[in-house]
This record gives sequence, C-alpha cells and structure tokens, in this order.
Amino acid sequence: MTQATLEVATDAEIKPDELRDQITALSRSKAEPDWLLAFRLASFEQALSMEWWTGQEESWRRTPRERLPRRARVGRVAGGSNGTPISVPAHVFAPDAHAGMVHQIDGRVAASDLAEHARAQGVIIKPLAAAARENPDLIQEWLGAVGPPADRYEAFGRALWTQGVFVYAPRGAVVDESLFYLVTQDVQQGDHWHYTLVVAERESQVSLIDGGDADDRRADLEETPLIHASVELIAEDGANLQFASVQRWHRQTAAISTTRGRVGRDATLRVTTAAFGADLDKQRIDIDMSQNGGYADIRGLFVGDGKQHIEHVTRQYHNGVGATSDLLIRGVLTDESQAVQYGLIRITPEGQKTNAHQTMRNLLLDDGAGADPIPMLEIEADDVKCSHAAAVGPVDPDQLFYLQARGIPPKVAERMVVRGFLSEIADGVPDEHMRDVIDELVEIQLEPVKASS
Amino acid sequence: MTSPLFEIDALQVAVEDKQIVNGLSLTLQPGEVHAIMGPNGSGKSTLANSLMGHPRYTITGGDIRLQGDSITEMAPDERARAGLFLAFQYPTDIPGVSMINFLRRAISARRGEEIPVREYRQLLNEVLGRLQMDEQFVRRYVNDGFSGGEKKRAEILQLGLLQPLVAVMDETDSGLDIDALRIVSEGINTFHSDDNAILLITHYQRILRYVQPDHVHVLIDGRIVESGDASLAERLERDGYEPFMERTKAEVLSS
Repeated sequence: MTQATLEVATDAEIKPDELRDQITALSRSKAEPDWLLAFRLASFEQALSMEWWTGQEESWRRTPRERLPRRARVGRVAGGSNGTPISVPAHVFAPDAHAGMVHQIDGRVAASDLAEHARAQGVIIKPLAAAARENPDLIQEWLGAVGPPADRYEAFGRALWTQGVFVYAPRGAVVDESLFYLVTQDVQQGDHWHYTLVVAERESQVSLIDGGDADDRRADLEETPLIHASVELIAEDGANLQFASVQRWHRQTAAISTTRGRVGRDATLRVTTAAFGADLDKQRIDIDMSQNGGYADIRGLFVGDGKQHIEHVTRQYHNGVGATSDLLIRGVLTDESQAVQYGLIRITPEGQKTNAHQTMRNLLLDDGAGADPIPMLEIEADDVKCSHAAAVGPVDPDQLFYLQARGIPPKVAERMVVRGFLSEIADGVPDEHMRDVIDELVEIQLEPVKASS
Repeated sequence: MTSPLFEIDALQVAVEDKQIVNGLSLTLQPGEVHAIMGPNGSGKSTLANSLMGHPRYTITGGDIRLQGDSITEMAPDERARAGLFLAFQYPTDIPGVSMINFLRRAISARRGEEIPVREYRQLLNEVLGRLQMDEQFVRRYVNDGFSGGEKKRAEILQLGLLQPLVAVMDETDSGLDIDALRIVSEGINTFHSDDNAILLITHYQRILRYVQPDHVHVLIDGRIVESGDASLAERLERDGYEPFMERTKAEVLSS
C-alpha cells in the first residue's frame, strides 16, 4: 500500500465541558468506582494545562508533528465490555501456549482466560475496566503510580482510555509462561486509547506480551487513526518483570506510546518493543531506577518502509546506588523511511556505582532512508560506568562479500545479515512463538511489495 | 588435451586506481598444489580477493578461467557456485547469523539444491570431528567472538563442506600456533584430491612443511618473478625475499 492516499492528520478543537461530560458518561457506563472517575477527570485537567508541544522540547523537535493528530475524543463505548466474549478475526500473535490471555477489539473483550496454576498463586490478567470493579484496591494503589504524565497525549490517555489490561503477580508468585494481551485495531473506529498496567510484587516473576494488530490492513482510511498506549510497568523489590510489545497497526495510523518502568531494589525489568506498522510510531520509554541494585534491559526493534517515521525517546533515570540499565535499539530502514532515537542517560548525585549503557544502530537499505540517533548523557555522580554508541549506515560490504564468497546470492546475503542484526533484539522476547512471529514480520516488512502484507 | 582446472592469465588488478597486480599468469592442473609466496605489500591479498571478485578490487586486464570458462565477469556468489573457494585471511564476523544456518545455505547454494537435514547433520559431524571441533561450535554466530585459530578452522570446515574445485588459501597459516597449524594443514590435505587444486598464498614457509606444494612462485610487486619446485620455498626461508626484491628493482631501473 502506498502512502499517496494518506490524509493529513486533522486537529480537533478541545471542548472541555463537553469532554468532561463524555468522560463522566464513559466512566458511569463502565460502572467504574468514583475514585477512578476522579482519576480520569484529574488527568483531563492535567492535559488541559499542557500544550501538545511547543516544538522546542528535545522529545518533540524531530517528530514530523504535522503527521500527528492533535485530538482528544472519547471513543465509542461498545457492548460486550462486561466480559461477554465476541467473535473477532484470528489474531496474528495468538499464541500456541500461554498462561493467560486477554484479547480486545475496540474495547470489547474477545477472550479472557488464565491458567489454573497462575490463578492459584493469585496472579491476575483481566481487562483493566473489570479489574477496576473487581480489584479496586490494587488499581487505586497502582494506576498512574509511576508519576505524572510526560505530555498531553499521556495525560489524555489516562483520562480517555476505553481499553486496557491489568496484570498482577502477588508477592512470590512465579509464572514461567508468558501472559498475552492482544489488541485488534478496529480501523473504522478511529482513535484508540489503551492502558496497560503490570504490577509484579516483591520476588514475583511475570511476563506479558502485548500484541497489536489491525482488523483490516488494506482499508483506505479517510482520517489518520490515533492510537495511544499508556504502559506502566512496576517491578517491586526482587521481582522479575518482562514485557514485550509488538505492533502491526494499520499503515495510516499515528501511534504514540508511553512506557514507564519502575525498577525496585534488586528487581529486573526487561522491555522489548518491536514496531512494524503505522505511518508514524513514536515510543517514549522511561525507566526509573531509583532503587539500589536494580537491572533494566530495554530493547527496541523496528523495520521501516515506505515513508514511515519511527521514533524512540528513551530515558534511563538512575537515582539509586549500583543499578544497571542497558538500552539497545536496532532498526532497519528501507525506501524513504526515517528513524529518530533520542536517548538520555540521567544519573543523579545519588546514582553512584551505576552501570548505564545505550546503543543505537540503524541499517539503511535504500538511499532515501535515514536515521538520526542521538545519545545523551547527564551524569552528576562521579563513580559510574556509562557508555553510548550510535551508528547509521548500510550493510557492511565485507559481511555481504563473505556470504557471497560462499555462493549465497547478494539479496539472500543481505537478508541474512539484516535478520541476524535484528535477532539480538528479538532474542529478548520471552516467548519462542513470539520470536518466530517477529521473525516473520521482519521478513514480510522487508518484502519489496507491500500490498500483500 | 582438456583445459587446465584454473588459469590466471595476465591478470591486472587495481585498488582505487592504484595498480597492485601487474600481469600475473598461473596455471593449475587438477591435483596440483601451488604456493605463492611474497613479502608484505607484494599483492598477495589483492590477488586472493580479486580472484573471488571482491568489489573493492577492479580487474583492469587479463582473465581468470575455471575449467576453461572465464569467470572474470562473474559475481562472487557465481564464482563460488562454479567451484571457487577463498579461505579468508581475516574472516568477517556476522553477528546474529548462526554457523549452522549459514553453512547449510552455503552447501545448498554450492550444490544447487537444498541439502537434506539428515545428510547435512552427518556431513557436519564428520567434518567437525576431523577438525577436532566441538559440535556446539556451529551454534555460534559466524566468526563472532572466534579466536584467531577458531576462525581459521572455521574456514577449513567450510572448505571440507563445500568441496570446491579450486581453493585459494589466503595466509591461512598466519596467527596459528603449532597444533592449530597441524590440524588446519591436515584439513587441507584431507580435502585435496586428484580432482581439485589448491593455491596457497603465504608469507612464510612453515605451512609448506605440512602441505606439500608441487610448485612455488615468488610474488614481488604484483608479478611472479620466479617459479620452481618445493626447494624454492626453502631457499626463501634461508635467504629471505631480499635477493628477489633487489633483482626486481634492478630490472625496473634497467628497463
């Protein structure tokens, strides 16, 4: 599908009174507790107090902002939100085996289950709306606990969300297999606001895979759909939380996500994101290492084609002693696609003995493709180990020659190098089936003819 | 009479407009081992890489023929499928691409059809065993984190698996300790048969104690200045390249 039909993103005037009423009606229709309505309305007021952007912010300067809708609409509140299963097309990420799953389309629940061994340990995976009714204490304690919203989108996301998931592992609970949260984008529905909340209590171990796909990838849309995802990941002391998100949204979509991780003392957080779809994909990943001895491993993978813009804005915030964080972003860009990585390592005077590293590597397969990796260090402690590396370039001709010298044709050789290059990121995904799916999506995305994908 | 297995005919090679190989000719018959010996800067690596078709090296004159057919215009992968092999002096690491996957693709490319899994495993284990290499070795990424010795062994592993007609060995002996040198040399000797030919390109004579050459050539300034039998290598070991270089200089001055 070419980009020629892409509509310019539209702006819509924000009418505060009207929206407040709509938010209230939304909350009531979902039988939400009063505090949750209050949370939505407070987030809404925060959003109103913010600008979309001024364009001067480092995190917005390099974004093609004209391709982003400045819009805040309350989505349709569809039937089936009480947990009644509905029928939806098979999801590309549907797993063979899993410990639990929630599948939503346009806020409706298509499937929800949880394995007995996980349930017996008190593990929860359920739609966020259901959790707000059934586990109000947990949601009230943790929703938004990662801190105030970073920008207007995130603030609106907290106010307007109509779909989401809650994953919870109580103290000491261990689930080896991954839980799945699958979302099917209803491309005719327009904007989607998602909310994902994962809480791993002390010494627990849980893994969530968040997969987004579109119900109709070939539809020619009149308006750029906006998808916003708020993701809040909390790993309490000694916990091991793994999160992987893979998106293949409709090609006209503007996707914005904010992933916030909070890493407790000696806790481990692993975050892997893989971006394939959307016209513009802007990911903010913010990891808070305020406790001592935590470990965070953040990996990003993307394959861009057409005129896609793929952007990572990351922050590794070290305010605890002896914590380690690694950021590794690798992308492949074809056609005229563009990538930006703005990565900040911030170490406060409290962050002694920090190990913080970031690496951004971009492979350009076509002349029109480009990438702008910008690693930044702000270090106020004097006993730390930090490194950053950024690279943009074509496939190494010596690697191609080596493979060709063994009889492998140039196109196949290039594909092998590219897949090898990306595999290090995909290896961070804690589920074999999902790694295979990512591998397939890489392959599809690299095909010169996009119409069939 | 049938055509020779491999012919290099008045080959000229330039790197970035600088002429490195200046009209080099060499003929390899089936079953022969040739050694090209030369000092640093004599054009050894340029020759090796240009034979394989590295894009950085431009062939400005002459011809390369395999079984009588010119391969000069062929892409590297076509040359490889036709039966030419280069053991790299500095094998390139390719992170994320496993040896086992790479080798299977390479063998299938060389054969022109997919090698069945069962046959592949058998063949792999046989050649690995011969080179005293662990099976786990092929789980690693291509040349990634390999020691110098492991890289050279991996090249010989590929030689054994791909069964080329002509193997060009570019300084395969460099950086090897004595045990590794012996194993690598045995690998070359096991591969060698009456149907194939080997071109050893080396600075030192020591590998020639293990792999016996039929012909030895001295390479100075991109051309062969002397050819002889194995005793020529011994002469080089004793006297060094200096006498040949002096002679070449004198010839250039008098011409």
